[in-house]
Amino acid sequence: MDSSTLIRFTLNGQPASARIKSYFTVVDLLQSLHLYGARESCGQGLCGCCTVLLDGVAVSGCLTLAQLVGGRSLTTVESLDQSGILSPVQQAFIDEGAFQCGFCTPGFVLMVHQLLERNADPTDDEIRDHLAGNLCRCAAYPEIIRATKSAAARMRAAATA
Amino acid sequence: MRDFELVRPSSLAEAIALLDTEDGGVRAFSGGTGLMLMMKTGVFTPTSLVRLDGIEPEHAAIGIDDDGSLRIGALATLSTVEHSPIVQKVAPLIPEAMKRLANVRVRNAARIGGNLAHGDPHMDLPPVLAALHASVRAVGPDGERTIAVEDLFAGYYETVLGRGELLTQVIVPSQAGWASVYHKCTTRSADDWPALGVAVSLRVVDGVIADSRLMVSAATEKLTRLVTAEAQLKGAETKAETFARAADAAVAEAETIDDARGSAEYKSSLLHVYVRRALRDALSRGALQ
Ligand SMILES: Cc1cc2nc3c(=O)[nH]c(=O)nc-3n(C[C@H](O)[C@H](O)[C@H](O)COP(=O)(O)OP(=O)(O)OC[C@H]3O[C@@H](n4cnc5c(N)ncnc54)[C@H](O)[C@@H]3O)c2cc1C
Ligand code: FES
Ligand code: FES
Repeated sequence: MDSSTLIRFTLNGQPASARIKSYFTVVDLLQSLHLYGARESCGQGLCGCCTVLLDGVAVSGCLTLAQLVGGRSLTTVESLDQSGILSPVQQAFIDEGAFQCGFCTPGFVLMVHQLLERNADPTDDEIRDHLAGNLCRCAAYPEIIRATKSAAARMRAAATA
Repeated sequence: MRDFELVRPSSLAEAIALLDTEDGGVRAFSGGTGLMLMMKTGVFTPTSLVRLDGIEPEHAAIGIDDDGSLRIGALATLSTVEHSPIVQKVAPLIPEAMKRLANVRVRNAARIGGNLAHGDPHMDLPPVLAALHASVRAVGPDGERTIAVEDLFAGYYETVLGRGELLTQVIVPSQAGWASVYHKCTTRSADDWPALGVAVSLRVVDGVIADSRLMVSAATEKLTRLVTAEAQLKGAETKAETFARAADAAVAEAETIDDARGSAEYKSSLLHVYVRRALRDALSRGALQ
């Protein structure tokens, strides 16, 4: 038997629903909705390419059953520029050249948003600790750390403006 | 993956009843991080997963007893434990170990009960909690019992938990007077799991070791308490020769295993180095008030 279930949830602030198989992960769910920002690479929770926020908390989409999203709020990288303007973190990644191929970037950007929500002025070590579970095959790590600090500075400036 | 059912009981008793079955495809589902890996690799094919998050409110709390011991609900996420001021105060070794345990997203999802029930000998919290003399509460069809963390593991990926038995709480006694350290050693294997984990706790009175607890993990099939090494330490002075004698005893006692992370012989050498190092570091770290 291979049946499907209907789930209702909040996707990037909007009500959403989808038909899913019991074994779908959040990455499968998002692909069925044509959202490709979270992508599966390692499939084991190690690399962070599939990062999403579930009720505001960062998790690996590849290790999260889609069924668990029912009734909850799911946020993906696609939420960040909904106003038509890139988020300060996205802009900082572009300005600092914090990627080459860009495959890992949505995951890093969401993780950096999470970090800066809790810590407005992280040290290099705090940034490294927080991003230890995100891998960049293009090795843009120095630029990613610079972008994180630059985004933090922009967000602090905006908060006091 | 094949189709399965996901159920969400709203009481512990209901969860236990659902899990009290002959069907090996029925399992408790806590943070799902361990289970999802086993399901994706085909090691485990579920027929029914029993979500524990429906009983979260009463079983995720972190509190402190009158005697200073710490109680952590089995459904507390590793992140909650990591950032809890109470945990930091009673047992700072736990948050310290979390910093090198998996990554932020796994810690956000995984729960301390799932972590201990998984039974993978490479994991960090079993040796840490055992060195801190922690125990767990387990509730099953036949009632409730307390199990010392050092006695929780029966073998490789195997615990002593019976059918339908669930971990509900972790209890860590006051650490006043004890100094503790955990070191792990990874050998750049493809999976990045450690080749060795060593956790020690020392209670020193007037330059003499009054009491100690020494645990090894990862290099052995299951978490192992190094009792002959502890015996070497008891009543001895805190000096390098004492620590070397304990390390000799540890190597004689621990049954290290060959695997992708190194030969048994290599792990025994690592054990000698890490026992001495951990004892030295615990001594210089000093006891908690
Ligand atoms: C990318 C990655 C890196 C990792 N790195 C590390 C690391 O560096 N160090 C480390 O220690 N660990 C590491 N882990 C392992 C991780 O800690 C475990 O997967 C996790 O703690 C399991 O907890 P969970 O709540 O997700 O359990 P689940 O996956 O939900 O369950 C695990 C097992 O425990 C059973 N179970 C769950 N809850 C209970 C309960 N309350 N009572 C009885 N049985 C129960 C389940 O039935 C299942 O058999 C890593 C995992 C991943 C994915
Ligand atoms: S694809 Fe999910 S963490 Fe790598
Ligand atoms: S930019 Fe290519 S993987 Fe990170």
